[in-house]
Amino acid sequence: MKHLILFIARKELKILHRQKSFGILLAIIILLLGFSLYAGQVAYKQKQAMVSKAQKERRAEWLNQGNKHPHIASHYGTYVFKQKTALSFFDSGLDNFTGTAAYLESLYPHEFMFRPVLEYGNMIRFGELSAALVLRLLLPLLLIFAIFSTFTKERETGTLKLLVGQGVDMRTIYLGKVTAFSFIVLLVTVPFFTLLYFLGLSENTATLPDFGLRSLSLFFLYTFYLLIIVQLSAWVSLRSSHARNSLLGLLIFWILSGIILPKMAANLGESLYPLPSMIAHKEAIKKDIANGMTPEETRTKRMEKLKQRYLKKYGVDSLKHLPISFSAVMQQGDEDYAGKVADIHTARLNGQMARQNGVGGLLGFVAPYIAVRNLSMAFTATDWYSTNDFEEKTETYKRDLVRAMHKDMELNTKGIGFYDYKPGRELWETVPEFTYQWPRLVQTIQHFKMEFLSLSLWLLLIVFLSVSPKKFCLS
Amino acid sequence: MIKAINLSKKYGDFTALDKLTLNIGAGDIFCLLGANGAGKSTTINLFLSFIEASSGQAIVNGTDVHKNPRESKKWISYIPENLQLYTDMSGLENLGFFCGLQGVNQNKEQLEQLLEQSGLQKDFIKKRVSKYSKGMRQKVGIALARAKGAKVLLLDEPTSGLDPKASNEFSELLLEMREQGVATLMATHDLFRAKHTGTHIGIMRHGALVDSMETGQISFNDLEEKYLTHMHA
Repeated sequence: MKHLILFIARKELKILHRQKSFGILLAIIILLLGFSLYAGQVAYKQKQAMVSKAQKERRAEWLNQGNKHPHIASHYGTYVFKQKTALSFFDSGLDNFTGTAAYLESLYPHEFMFRPVLEYGNMIRFGELSAALVLRLLLPLLLIFAIFSTFTKERETGTLKLLVGQGVDMRTIYLGKVTAFSFIVLLVTVPFFTLLYFLGLSENTATLPDFGLRSLSLFFLYTFYLLIIVQLSAWVSLRSSHARNSLLGLLIFWILSGIILPKMAANLGESLYPLPSMIAHKEAIKKDIANGMTPEETRTKRMEKLKQRYLKKYGVDSLKHLPISFSAVMQQGDEDYAGKVADIHTARLNGQMARQNGVGGLLGFVAPYIAVRNLSMAFTATDWYSTNDFEEKTETYKRDLVRAMHKDMELNTKGIGFYDYKPGRELWETVPEFTYQWPRLVQTIQHFKMEFLSLSLWLLLIVFLSVSPKKFCLS
Repeated sequence: MIKAINLSKKYGDFTALDKLTLNIGAGDIFCLLGANGAGKSTTINLFLSFIEASSGQAIVNGTDVHKNPRESKKWISYIPENLQLYTDMSGLENLGFFCGLQGVNQNKEQLEQLLEQSGLQKDFIKKRVSKYSKGMRQKVGIALARAKGAKVLLLDEPTSGLDPKASNEFSELLLEMREQGVATLMATHDLFRAKHTGTHIGIMRHGALVDSMETGQISFNDLEEKYLTHMHA
């Protein structure tokens, strides 16, 4: 049987090879892949260069800000920039929408600025051509065009009867055809992902752990997705009485899976789990910081508790007997409370976002495109969870920076006028430069259980399709 | 070689084939005559196990085709009314492909020779089938039967639409295969060709074999008269 499957596959490939239209379409897809990969890499290099330069300049600015009071320095702040991952030139994911730089300043949680999408023209806002998009949307379309008539044509011309008349069973014919088209898929994905891996290696992969594993995962993900399309198309062709029915059915699936359902998932998620506006979110944080989240957390009460804690800690009965600057402690207290409020509001916001993403994950059961898109972003570290991780680490860095300033004030400004204490570069150097490593793949994919589950069910489906074509209609 | 024992096929209340019993020996060419819908193609499809019999048995070279379809097809070669091959491949490639499916190992020269022996013009052997006439495609079908050493030939109106010359060439090929002991069951509308090529003729009507005879014992005029009588009965 294996011999016959390969024999039929070879015949299919020979015919495909001789069909000029298929060759032209495949060449267009390969060119588009090459172009999008090249364009992605050029954009990546430019952005990386800008980010590295800006990061160095801002670091130099921080170190060379001159002598000033640490509290002023904590408000003077600094910037951190998000490095692009070495795989983002394959799939930019949410990168264009999540901002590149954040201004880190004491007390104020600033949102990420310079979202690349804001610099784009109107047209590109409808979707950037990335290599991932070509593999997810255009290559499946080519496969559909190549496969939709693979059985209907043979049935209409009568060659299917001739094949079966030679004693070949339908499952063997089906698997032979699927093997041929799977070979086409591998012909694209193997060289493409090998190239992607080596292109990625030539860039900075230090910030992206598991680079090799991520590249391999991308290869398996996209190959598997394209094999789903191959199997589904062959099966629809087998079950359709006419080529037009087969094409219509497959195109409806493609439009639903690749265009309508992903948009619907976003709308449905937003309707079921609405997010507050950014202004409302910021106002709520501001209000809670100013008034306290509970009556027990007003600033007066918090400061009183802090005062009692410090008096007890140092065994004194009045603030003037403290060996440290209590105003610095108060400022850090405000900072801590602002952080706590921001964390609670952000966690609420993130919970809502995760629920929205869950809606998308659920729709992956009917549209494998969605599951593949989400996992592709996870593997390239351009997904929402990876972005969140970066923002959390940024926030931690900011808090450490501000804490270092306040600690210095606490120890060195007792009894000194505010403008009389002006440390310099030595203090600024105690704050390490911001460095970031994207989370490990195993951490990220924990958030994508639904996607893995839906793809597992798709795997079961294609196994079922492979063994099902025993009964068939020849005419 | 080809045997039908009370072979029937029903679609609900409609009887497409009613208790057909026939026996075609090696070297026999049995021509089934009858109007459209008489059950000729149904008979062939049952022997090919394209459809399942409602009752009875279809036996090829001692093998029940429904119990062991794959085994029975080793002996069968089938040529439909309009043999369609893969148009993007040459006759030679088509022959190589179908032989390969049967596990028949013939080299390129042998396949070319078979095509030539089957009457395909030499300069067409390596041309794409899209350029072939119907007669040429039927010749590739005959070459395939020869290549696999088929003992049974099932033909469903193979000369329909062929010009007289091509039709005659096809008949000659059948006679050659008859000499080699091939048993042939041919559904046809062509009384002349049936009389000229066949060894036996059966007339079918409403799914039943209503008459059968040896061609050597009947004149063409008598055959025509019998046929028309059955058709108008």
